[in-house]
Amino acid sequence: MGKRMYAIEVENLVKKFGDFEAVKGVSFKVRKGEIFAFLGPNGAGKTTTVHILTTLLKPTSGKAIVAGYDVVKDAKEVRKRIGIVFQDPSVDRDLTAYENMLVHGGVYGLRGRELKEKIEELLKFVELWEFRNKLVKYFSGGMQRRLEIARSLLHHPEVLFLDEPTLGLDPQTRAHVWSYIEAMREEQEMTIFLTTHYMEEAEKLADRVAIIDHGRIIADGTVEELKKLVGGDVIYLKVEDGAECFETDFGSCVVLPDGRIRIDVSNASEAIPRIFEAAEKEGIKILEITYHRPTLNDVFLHLTGREIRDEGGNLMKGITKARMRR
Amino acid sequence: MRAFEIMVYRQVKRFLRARSRVAGMIINPLVWLAFFGIGWSNAFRDTSIFGGVDYLTYLSPGIFAMTVFNQSFVSGISVIWDREFGFLKEVLVAPASRKETIAGRIFGDSAVATLQGAIILSLTFFIAKINLLGVISALGVGFVLAVAFSSFGVSIAARMRSMEGFQMIMALVMLPLIFLSGAIYPIAFMPSWMKALALANPLTYAVEASRVLLTGVSGIFPLYQSLLILLILTAVMLYIAMVSFERSTVE
Repeated sequence: MGKRMYAIEVENLVKKFGDFEAVKGVSFKVRKGEIFAFLGPNGAGKTTTVHILTTLLKPTSGKAIVAGYDVVKDAKEVRKRIGIVFQDPSVDRDLTAYENMLVHGGVYGLRGRELKEKIEELLKFVELWEFRNKLVKYFSGGMQRRLEIARSLLHHPEVLFLDEPTLGLDPQTRAHVWSYIEAMREEQEMTIFLTTHYMEEAEKLADRVAIIDHGRIIADGTVEELKKLVGGDVIYLKVEDGAECFETDFGSCVVLPDGRIRIDVSNASEAIPRIFEAAEKEGIKILEITYHRPTLNDVFLHLTGREIRDEGGNLMKGITKARMRR
Repeated sequence: MRAFEIMVYRQVKRFLRARSRVAGMIINPLVWLAFFGIGWSNAFRDTSIFGGVDYLTYLSPGIFAMTVFNQSFVSGISVIWDREFGFLKEVLVAPASRKETIAGRIFGDSAVATLQGAIILSLTFFIAKINLLGVISALGVGFVLAVAFSSFGVSIAARMRSMEGFQMIMALVMLPLIFLSGAIYPIAFMPSWMKALALANPLTYAVEASRVLLTGVSGIFPLYQSLLILLILTAVMLYIAMVSFERSTVE
């Protein structure tokens, strides 16, 4: 078992709900000990994939091996070796933090002194030990998340799944949760599979990222590799009267829905003077020009022509957007 | 057995925390006893219809069974809330046997329901002629009854996809089963079609058995027969619940 190189191996995974194909033939491998992120917009198939990998859903076709066992044939063996923090809160609100840990440990067959010591260690790790006897319904969203993280570590899983671990948390709390995830990898030596639609989360935490959209992986690799897909720099232009891609030999150019023009270039400082020249020749007046190193959002934009979603960390904003999209 | 044990712990702990909900559950049977029971008790002068006891005494075991039934059925069906709020998913990804886990939940809920029945019994003691010696055995009957209907609730919840049907199921199950159990009036006087329905109702046997134990009034079955039928039905219902839960998914 020790020689196995991959913690997760997925081959051509498909999941249909009636006519709707949520996951359309996904393949990827996650190495032992790495943090692997699934990055994509809402509804891309991230949670469905996690549910298949954690044995909650059966795939329509394809194969998935987690911690060395098939998720369909050896579901029980897989369950022994995984932990998960669900996207939606799953704590017992009428129990205290300590009781939540106790119940979870019990469901995993732990008991006695070993369990008590482990609970103390983990509640201290997520800095909730002093609140252990407080009912969870009085916890803030960030505290509940930390409790869920502690709970998922109780049975020492080989592979930990985090489904949108910072969804709906404010930026400060999110950074706090990130620091636990990083500490966790170092101290517990486990493989972490994370889904997110926050590009900075994937950038900050992941060793490797797979970008998923409409049930398909459209790119995967390290953050640096993915950024290279875009080229060097990204330039945004705002021009007077109707945006058009007026000269394209700088690099790939798109007009964004908000009216800005986006040009991917290998080197912005060289390209900008040439863009000005070209604009002058065409008689186009440039109102604004900005450029930056590509982010994962630019990669997504480059690959799909859409943005993942603007940053915000504001749940309400996210919900309104999701509704509008329907 | 660890998962079983810890689920009993969880259900009992949660119950002890939710005191206001507990009070709410006790008010309902008290209203029945006080307003329905005392009201009719004065109207029924002829006690022979009720096996020679006053109506309030006749009704008390019925209200005890009703309390246990209501409480256990609602807790069973509340598995659907567990699904909505995530705890169910926790259990489904755990390696523990699902049958064992849900059985633990059912037994924990049943202990809670029986305790509530006990509270009602101790209150009826002041207004009805309850046979003290029968109380312990009646509580045993209450526990078996609770396992039956907590299981029934779990089986329904495992098949429900949303909470929308909840109100309808409550209306379809709760009151009709109470009326068809002999809790409020004797089965002997029912028309035959209604009697047939009453005989198919597991609650009937719990009402019959606890009435014999608490008041000495027997209805249509001798005690051992009621107990035997109740036990068999409960075992079947528990098994169905365990299998239904094992097959449930998050889809």
